[in-house]
Amino acid sequence: MKEGLRQDRAGSVFKALRSLLPVLVILALIAAVPLFSPSNRFLSLAISAGINVIALYGLSVLFGQTGILSMGHAALVGVGAYAAAILARDFGVGFWAALPAAALASAVFAMIVGIPSLRVGGHHFVIMTFAFGQLLAIVLTNGGDYTGAATGLDLAGPVTLFGADMSDLTRYYLMVVAFVTSAAVASWAIINSSYGRTLRAIRENEKLAASLGINVGRHKIGAFVVSGIFAGISGVLLAYFLGHISPSQFSSFPSIYLALMVMIGGARLIEGPLAGGILVAFLPEVLNLDPVQSRIVYGVCLIAVIMLLPDGLIGGIVRALRAAFSGKPKQETQQRGAAEAQR
Amino acid sequence: MSPILAISGLSKQFGGVTALAGVDLAIEEGEILGVVGPNGSGKTTLFNVVTGVHRPSGGSVLFRGQDITGLKPHAISRAGIGYTFQQAMAFAGLGVLENVQIAGEHVRARADSTANPWPTPQALLDFVGLSAVANEKAGVLPFGSLRLLGLALALATRPSLLLLDEPAAGLNDRETTALVGLVRQLPGHGITVCVIDHDMKLMQMLCRRLAVLDFGSKIADGPTEAVLADPKVLEVYLGGDL
Ligand SMILES: Nc1ncnc2c1ncn2[C@@H]1O[C@H](COP(=O)(O)OP(=O)(O)O)[C@@H](O)[C@H]1O
Ligand SMILES: [Mg+2]
Repeated sequence: MKEGLRQDRAGSVFKALRSLLPVLVILALIAAVPLFSPSNRFLSLAISAGINVIALYGLSVLFGQTGILSMGHAALVGVGAYAAAILARDFGVGFWAALPAAALASAVFAMIVGIPSLRVGGHHFVIMTFAFGQLLAIVLTNGGDYTGAATGLDLAGPVTLFGADMSDLTRYYLMVVAFVTSAAVASWAIINSSYGRTLRAIRENEKLAASLGINVGRHKIGAFVVSGIFAGISGVLLAYFLGHISPSQFSSFPSIYLALMVMIGGARLIEGPLAGGILVAFLPEVLNLDPVQSRIVYGVCLIAVIMLLPDGLIGGIVRALRAAFSGKPKQETQQRGAAEAQR
Repeated sequence: MSPILAISGLSKQFGGVTALAGVDLAIEEGEILGVVGPNGSGKTTLFNVVTGVHRPSGGSVLFRGQDITGLKPHAISRAGIGYTFQQAMAFAGLGVLENVQIAGEHVRARADSTANPWPTPQALLDFVGLSAVANEKAGVLPFGSLRLLGLALALATRPSLLLLDEPAAGLNDRETTALVGLVRQLPGHGITVCVIDHDMKLMQMLCRRLAVLDFGSKIADGPTEAVLADPKVLEVYLGGDL
């Protein structure tokens, strides 16, 4: 009996590790890209995408696991970015020390927004986070010299690692890939922990979760705070990469883009944020679209994904693969449909 | 001996509707108490108010002498009161075993938990007869299995009092018999049970004591045979399926 239990546990750990493997392989391939001497434009685009992906991993904990959608997530990235810029300007705080400080700042903001909004539940949260994004942009724009108003702030500090200057584009790219890897592993660890199970329980049925001893309100706020930590780190990387930040980068449009990326990629699976972030960053480039065209394409993509692939692109691919190999999931979806109709 | 749950003067208003009109009820340690009454008589509301789903409009609930009136559902679950809802519920998108794992992970560690270890999630699935579907998604289970899973979830929270709201509704005869067999074992494991159902045959099999609600008031309370012979109760059920 005990032996069986141990085997069970070993089995589930093995299964969990196997789910991480594809992401690690893809990230290893991505890390090898500089060997093929890519253009600077490609590297810049990839760095921006990677910085987004870090925030997307946080958003996937919130949306994919807990079932709560934030429409103001770029604002939490903004809190991190401005924290980094202000800390550097006023206190001479460098890149590495700014990381935990900015993560903390974004987490605190998430808690301040989350406590009142998550108590009222569901759709209110979407609206509250959206309003928070707008509000932050207004505050930053009217913050005078302290926030640099509409022009924003410059950040000219060097990023060094073990004495090496990381500002060079290829090095910064590799560093961002390392951060993306950490974000993916962190999100994987959350998904496969008892904490992740708790969040999924809340996503599936709040009333039942509460009746089983889960403090639903506190865990929802907690998930938002966790997603804020990812956003804060993403903000620091962004500020140091661009060297200049301004309020419009963190207003409603970027927030909608983040939500769109996580939905297109698929929020529940570990590959989703990576796929969504890369796709949305590179699609206009590959298809040679202008900004207006690309917005239209994104809109169409989003509608198509919501209607055809509720688990996002990656979820759809996984399901298609399973269908191809086992040939029986059709029945499962029918049964699930029946069960849902019953509720 | 003082009762495990002492409900006094409990009332609940929904707008103008009085769902509970000052109910007194004591549940004794180790018994299986039945609560019956016509549709809309306030049975579910009674459970909802005791378990914190709704806040009471008045009255108090003492659990093992502790005042738990108006606490949040998760706090009441952690205090040791398990609840299965009238609408069978599970985490539909998650695995059956994962469902039970979750249910066992938010229990406040009890003093006696080391001396008398609680069954593992797998053992609970064995107990309700669902171990064969442990790796299925809960959402694909047929209705009867979903009810049994609901029972396993409530048991995983290590309750000392378990409230079952129409646990046999929608079950076929075979499943009902299995359920009766399971519920009867619970007092032997230290779990006091209070069960709501319409099915008088089922209640006679399970309960030695019945309480009857009508329009939010308790109109009878006593040994099952005596309650079922009570003229007031017969009147309420006149033309019904008694
Ligand atoms: N959430 C609610 N909101 C408004 N009215 C409710 C609610 N829950 C129950 N009621 C009303 O309270 C009364 C008792 O309902 P209920 O407790 O469900 O009865 P029973 O379980 O005995 O069938 C009914 O009149 C019902 O309409
Ligand atoms: Mg009812």
